[in-house]
Amino acid sequence: MSGSTELASSGADIVIEASGLVRTFGEVVAVDGIDLAVARGEVFGFLGPNGAGKSTTVRMLTTLLRPTGGSARIDGHDVVESAPAVRRIIGVALQDASIDPLMTGNELMRLQAVLHGIPRSEARRRCPELLARVGLTGAADRRVATYSGGMRRRLDLALSLVHEPSILFLDEPSAGLDPTSRLALWEEVRRLNRELGTTVFLTTQYLEEADELAGRIAIIDRGSLVREGSPEALKDTVGSPTLRVDVDAALLEATRRLLSGFGPERPAREGRVSVGLDGGASRVTEVVRALDDAGISVSHLELDAPSLDDVFADATGRRLEGAEE
Amino acid sequence: MSAVAVAHVTGVGHAGSVVSAICVRGMRRVLARPMLIMPMLLMPLIFVISFTGAFGSLTRVEGYGTDNVFNWMAVYAALQGAVFAGVGGASATAEDIENGFFDRLLLTPGSRVPLLVGTVAYSSLRSTIPTTGVLIVSVMGGLSLTGGPLALLTVYVATWGMAAVFCLVGLTVVYKFRTMRSMILIQVFGFSSMFLSTGQVPIHFMNGWLHAVARVNPVTNVLRFSRQGFLGDITWSLTWPGLLALAAMVLVSGVLALRQLGKLAA
Repeated sequence: MSGSTELASSGADIVIEASGLVRTFGEVVAVDGIDLAVARGEVFGFLGPNGAGKSTTVRMLTTLLRPTGGSARIDGHDVVESAPAVRRIIGVALQDASIDPLMTGNELMRLQAVLHGIPRSEARRRCPELLARVGLTGAADRRVATYSGGMRRRLDLALSLVHEPSILFLDEPSAGLDPTSRLALWEEVRRLNRELGTTVFLTTQYLEEADELAGRIAIIDRGSLVREGSPEALKDTVGSPTLRVDVDAALLEATRRLLSGFGPERPAREGRVSVGLDGGASRVTEVVRALDDAGISVSHLELDAPSLDDVFADATGRRLEGAEE
Repeated sequence: MSAVAVAHVTGVGHAGSVVSAICVRGMRRVLARPMLIMPMLLMPLIFVISFTGAFGSLTRVEGYGTDNVFNWMAVYAALQGAVFAGVGGASATAEDIENGFFDRLLLTPGSRVPLLVGTVAYSSLRSTIPTTGVLIVSVMGGLSLTGGPLALLTVYVATWGMAAVFCLVGLTVVYKFRTMRSMILIQVFGFSSMFLSTGQVPIHFMNGWLHAVARVNPVTNVLRFSRQGFLGDITWSLTWPGLLALAAMVLVSGVLALRQLGKLAA
């Protein structure tokens, strides 16, 4: 039974629900029958590598793309049959921060307010408040072309909040941001969830982002959900910590053979052997001794507690792109 | 979302606000990029200056209805500028689709029709710039208003209408192919429609297929309508076919564009 199915049958107040959701583009199956359930007030992480189907799923859930099969409901409204009703209650910050560089922050906020039918007097109060909230008051009258990547993301977030949505979709919100901007954005997402009870559906390819923000995570790969649960529960399924050993290319096979006696091999980047170390940290000394006895010279050795990357590797046989770098 | 806002997005007032906001945004974008204004204005100006210069003696031939070449060519150049403005409006949408901004517009909880109407309104408004430029240059060249000031109104009505038509045709293609490159198709179509009309010579000067095409080309009626005030008096017999042609073209291209807009989320 998947996490979503459990959640759905637990009587929780489900606000995002997908059942057998499919999207194909010609012969390519981008999303292959996924089931999802997100409860009100949750921060839900949708984790996967580039091209896994995250954005396609978000575009279907936000009515921008019609599903080829299956169904999805947002707070009870079908995304196809009741698309305008869905758009009233969701806020969306899409990948690449789709912002007109020739407009100023203020102009974009006012346009967004008009699009969502916010009365002018209300918009005059709300727009400056939101710009202040994301720290853009001083830049509000500047053209977006002069904004940094982090400022654009923050403006995108403010725009998505103009109509006070109860559900917020954030598609790769911190992609391309520097660490400081990323931390600021995370804090704002937490604040929205904590103070306003906003349900957040967050897609990301960053393990740390999913780990930091999401109360529950679904991992998608090649259009299908491969794991779902809380970060802790998912890591628990991996069990043993990961031992990573870097050796000279000529010694890789010998190292692989030797380490296979200590636990199951896990996917690793080139020049590295990774195994799930049965027995955990207490066996590191034994490993080092065995390597030494075999005459294998090690350039780097580390033991990590199970991570979401290990969960992904366990489920797919591959590491998330760039996860080890 | 507040109850006030929910009620507001379903009303005509909201649709009007969106149309206005889209139109204003378009004009601001044009004014923010002088490089956009220059070709939009220069192209029809070069048209009217070069055509009147090269074919200055053409109107001495009997059959043009005027001996002043500006009275014949000004409207033609203005309509060319309007076609260019209409295509430009659709190009702006293509740019929005390519850079993702159009997704933001599509997420409006109200009807999506105002997004289309706003773009058309922007294109028509934008066509006012080249039309005014052409008329000013033509007046300086000796353009005479034989039909009185109403002649100017017919030119503006015709150019607003033509900009709307070619914006709608452009939007049909843009919504379908979702790329800026598709605009080449519209430019070819737009200029062919103008060349295969009575833009340059009266219809009774044409022979064979060219005559047949120009006769059924609705642009010919639009030209007759908008040119009448520079060739003689303004009459209802030349006015209604022009208005009807514009209305029919707006209707057909509007239906096609709306159908493609409806398929955008498919």
